[in-house]
Amino acid sequence: MAAAFTPRKLDCKDLHSYLKTLPSPVLDRLYNHPATCLAVFRELPDLGRQYVMRTLFVEQPVSQAVIGQWVNNKFINDHRYACKALTELRVWYEQPIPGGQPGWVLNQTFRNNTRVALLGGGKPWIGGRSTTVDKYAKDILFLDKYAQERWECVLHFMVGSSEGIEGVSRDIIEVLNNSGLMRVDATDPNPTITPAGFQFLLMDTASQVWYFMLQYLETVEHRGMDLVECLSFLFQLSFSTLGQDYTTDGMSESQLKFLQHLREFGLVYQRKRKSQRYYPTCLAINLASGLSNVSTGQEKTGFIIVETNYRVYAYTDSPLKIALLAIFCDMLYRFPTMVVCNLSRTSVREALIRGITAEQILNFLRSHAHPKMLADTPVLPPTITDQVRLWELERDRLKFNDGVLYSQFNSQADYELLSDYAKDLGVLVWENATKRVMVVTKSGHDDVKKFWKRQKNS
Amino acid sequence: MEELRNSSLLVIILDTNPIWWGQNITETGSSVCLSQCLNSLMVFANSHLMLSHYNKLAVIAAHTNKSCFLYPLPKPPTAGNTTTVNDNDTTEGGEENAVKIPQMGENDGKYELFTEFNENLKTEIKDLILNDRLVGELYSDSLVAGAMSMAMQLDIHRIEKEAPIGENVSSRILVIKGSEDNAAQYMNFMNAVFTAQKQNTVIDACILDNDSGLLQQACDITGGMYLKIPQISGLLQYLLWVFLPDPIMRPKLTLPPKVQVDYRAACFCHRNLIDVGYVCSVCLSIFCAFNPICSTCQTTFKFMGPPKILKKKSKKSAG
Amino acid sequence: MEDEKGYRWETEYEKTWEAIHEDESGSLQASIDDIIHKAKRKRMLEKIGNIRLGMMRHLYLVIDMSETMSEQDLKPTRLHSTVKLLEHFVEEYFDQNPISQLGVLATRNKRAEKITELGGNPRRHINTLQGLKDRKCQGEPSLQNSLELAIQTLKHMPSHASREVLIILGSLTTCDPGDIDNTIQTLKDCNIRCSIIGLAAEISVCKKLCKQTQGKYNVILDESHYKYLLDQHISPPPATSNTASSLIKMGFPHHSLSNVNKEERPSMCMCHLDSKNNEGFSTVGYFCPQCKSKYCELPVECKACGLTLVSAPHLARSYHHLFPLDSFKEIPRTTLEDVEKLHCFSCLSQLKDINIYQCTQCMKMFCLDCDLFIHETLHSCPGCSSHRGTQHDRMDTT
Repeated sequence: MAAAFTPRKLDCKDLHSYLKTLPSPVLDRLYNHPATCLAVFRELPDLGRQYVMRTLFVEQPVSQAVIGQWVNNKFINDHRYACKALTELRVWYEQPIPGGQPGWVLNQTFRNNTRVALLGGGKPWIGGRSTTVDKYAKDILFLDKYAQERWECVLHFMVGSSEGIEGVSRDIIEVLNNSGLMRVDATDPNPTITPAGFQFLLMDTASQVWYFMLQYLETVEHRGMDLVECLSFLFQLSFSTLGQDYTTDGMSESQLKFLQHLREFGLVYQRKRKSQRYYPTCLAINLASGLSNVSTGQEKTGFIIVETNYRVYAYTDSPLKIALLAIFCDMLYRFPTMVVCNLSRTSVREALIRGITAEQILNFLRSHAHPKMLADTPVLPPTITDQVRLWELERDRLKFNDGVLYSQFNSQADYELLSDYAKDLGVLVWENATKRVMVVTKSGHDDVKKFWKRQKNS
Repeated sequence: MEELRNSSLLVIILDTNPIWWGQNITETGSSVCLSQCLNSLMVFANSHLMLSHYNKLAVIAAHTNKSCFLYPLPKPPTAGNTTTVNDNDTTEGGEENAVKIPQMGENDGKYELFTEFNENLKTEIKDLILNDRLVGELYSDSLVAGAMSMAMQLDIHRIEKEAPIGENVSSRILVIKGSEDNAAQYMNFMNAVFTAQKQNTVIDACILDNDSGLLQQACDITGGMYLKIPQISGLLQYLLWVFLPDPIMRPKLTLPPKVQVDYRAACFCHRNLIDVGYVCSVCLSIFCAFNPICSTCQTTFKFMGPPKILKKKSKKSAG
Repeated sequence: MEDEKGYRWETEYEKTWEAIHEDESGSLQASIDDIIHKAKRKRMLEKIGNIRLGMMRHLYLVIDMSETMSEQDLKPTRLHSTVKLLEHFVEEYFDQNPISQLGVLATRNKRAEKITELGGNPRRHINTLQGLKDRKCQGEPSLQNSLELAIQTLKHMPSHASREVLIILGSLTTCDPGDIDNTIQTLKDCNIRCSIIGLAAEISVCKKLCKQTQGKYNVILDESHYKYLLDQHISPPPATSNTASSLIKMGFPHHSLSNVNKEERPSMCMCHLDSKNNEGFSTVGYFCPQCKSKYCELPVECKACGLTLVSAPHLARSYHHLFPLDSFKEIPRTTLEDVEKLHCFSCLSQLKDINIYQCTQCMKMFCLDCDLFIHETLHSCPGCSSHRGTQHDRMDTT
């Protein structure tokens, strides 16, 4: 019942929870590549990272009691959490030490490849840096602009504006449809945006890319590509240097195909499809930094000023950004380089009805705040944050519980017997003695039913 | 409510004093030389960078006659701006040299950021040793104070200018030192320590050989770790154990206990450590015995011995 | 406000806008930057070396708590603003003058009262200062009463110490029981320096008091100027000619940690004797080398034997006042060759400002930010201290 009223909250997993969903053979294969080891290592809790570093050069299993002593007793919970994370990701596993006591030993593949990342002495990474100078060398500015344009194309497509739609390929549309961000209606050949899609739009770019890639990776195997190869390549990309060109030499078939897709999303720049070199863009590189902390975006500079009187000034001429603001604001004036709008109860409620949460709205305003606003703490005026949250709470005044209605009792005695029984069990939700009806919680229904049957039989 | 991104800047000060390193091999028969220490240091530095995407690193050498940056180096301004070609201006003109780019080290699976750092460090230290024309007197102490001042400056620069809004940079300095303390740098050294204290920068010390009274004080004042490692061959394990966790992590871990710090002062006349001494009220010079003229600032003192002060105090407290 | 200049309205009409010039593109940025630069360096250049300083200061802060302090020309009120600035002042004071002492007096209702005794613990002063915020501002202040109260304690201070009173005065009137000229004379005889920061307007008697006792008298313009005036009292003042110099006996106590001698019994420290809880009861602490009383903090004056207990770093903290770093030479960037390749010696950034700062000893170049940082905080030149030839302490060369 409840689900029908509040649309599902967009669940953006971080790397840790994503990797947990992978079966362990896949994980073990993933660790065959130093870049994945690096990415997973950075994703571990603080203490976990220290444990890995301390045991990296210890070949035998280390007693669990010994590792427990590395930590101050007051932080035993942190310790447990770290151990759990390490086990879940198969970074280490249990193995008794020679004396028979329980011990931990690092996953051999993980150990070897982390060491390779740290010290070298292994096989080169796939592709690697180009060995010749690029005639058409691109600088960082160009790459940033390119990546941003590509990504905005996708967003434009989602909001349905006509700008740059031709750049959106079938693959992208497919991913958008599969992930439930957009939906194809029977009436309209073009897909339309879903509530989940709106939530997606309000996320910062880094989280958007990460969410999108997660959705994409789920479809990878249907496309006949190898998930492990794609993932390791993706991680490798995130550890490359911005503005540096890399060669496609030595890449496997599915990785080349993957590269083409990444090119469409704007994660890499390749001058021609057949070109032997590619440049990773900031979208790909921020993937690794965005991972650990999904909510921080590396936006260029913010453009929004929010005043305590609910006015929002946005210094932008991008139709996309204006369209995003219009999701939860009433537009007032529009100038060539700025728009003025109002946060009002109706406009915010409309957004809430679409399934966008107050936190997402505030987060959007905060992450796009003008540098002048960033200088203040808190960034957004407290009156605004409180009010937007209150507007959200307003909609939560009703709480839905499942229940079973009992009615048409033959006698008042029967009715009273059953209602007393239900009362004793504490499962009675509501009753009306004059009409002889009562509602019992769903969990209590079985007991009450059994009781009634016993009563009837006796 | 706002998530703060924590990044940690680690400045490593390495003592490269040739005299100490030389003596270490010949006298103590230790098999560990500078290059091995450097290897451990590079692994340690790589590990620091590996911990988080936002971690930053600098290495400064404290040599016998100078101290200088090993990493990062001042960026040559020609790197980014002049060689890049505009995207609409793809003239083949200046690009006839399609020569091979000199490869940075071997491509052996190491994370390329690490490779770059390691190669830079090696070249710089080679330069430092080869171009090191030691003329005249040789000193067995290193210029740690200079290195620390440089570290403090870098630190401030980073915090104020480069850190984006919302990024919380915590910085610390790790001094790896074998040679003796340099008494002539006392004031420079202490100035750097007080600055560190003011800026909440932690100073850690990893001592290879001679206990350093100055660094003990520095670590105690700034809340850092002071550790004299029992054997140099285990350097890497000690680095990874004690010095890899940043100060925020440290309370969670079991670490070696703090050392007893000697806060006694040395008198200016005999350089003895003293418990009770006499301090000139004008220049704050410390003497171990009463003499009527200050040898530092030539002030003549009115004779008012300790008994007089004592009497006054006791009278006051009595009344 | 200085005497020579006369009154502001009598001086020539100041054309403040003429200092700003447009550059070729019509932007004011360059000349604004220039003004900011000059302001930044101005304070630094004001410091002069080679004078005898009164390093051991005994300072009484007198805070006006009269009715006028509840006025709102400083936000939120004069008193709140004062307390906030003084908190910063106290911290900086002890940072810069580690072996000095400070006490706080308040005056209201024609009386003066002691808020804190002279002492060397910044935390205690700051806590009591914060408590002042909640107290009511009442009646008139009394300049004479507060001065007399300060004299009572200060005149017993050893003669080598610099005795000072700093008065924050919001009121334009004072209610004194007797002839203030006598008090001024006593102050002069006791060698006590009085300075006043006025929050309202200049008062003749204050001016006279400060002039006679060699103090400074200033009236604030706004809050930032207030802070600036307070900051001027942080560095030790030049010693007056009749300050006696002497050798002071000091103790450098051992710090003992609990884990060293296990058999040692825990003991009570002298500073927490009156505390009700268990605070201060442990084996850790500093022990007076003369009478073995224990203290948890330094610097402190031993309560049992009167010995001043300090640690070596405390003395070292004051040395930079005695041996200040020479200011760097300012060189316009355009006069140098190869400007593109220049970078700041200490922060490694490219030098892009209009002016470059060069140390006269080691000839290293610095950017403005580093120059300010070196002179305001670090007090030693990174260039000099990182070369064998120039590393020697200024202390040794004198």
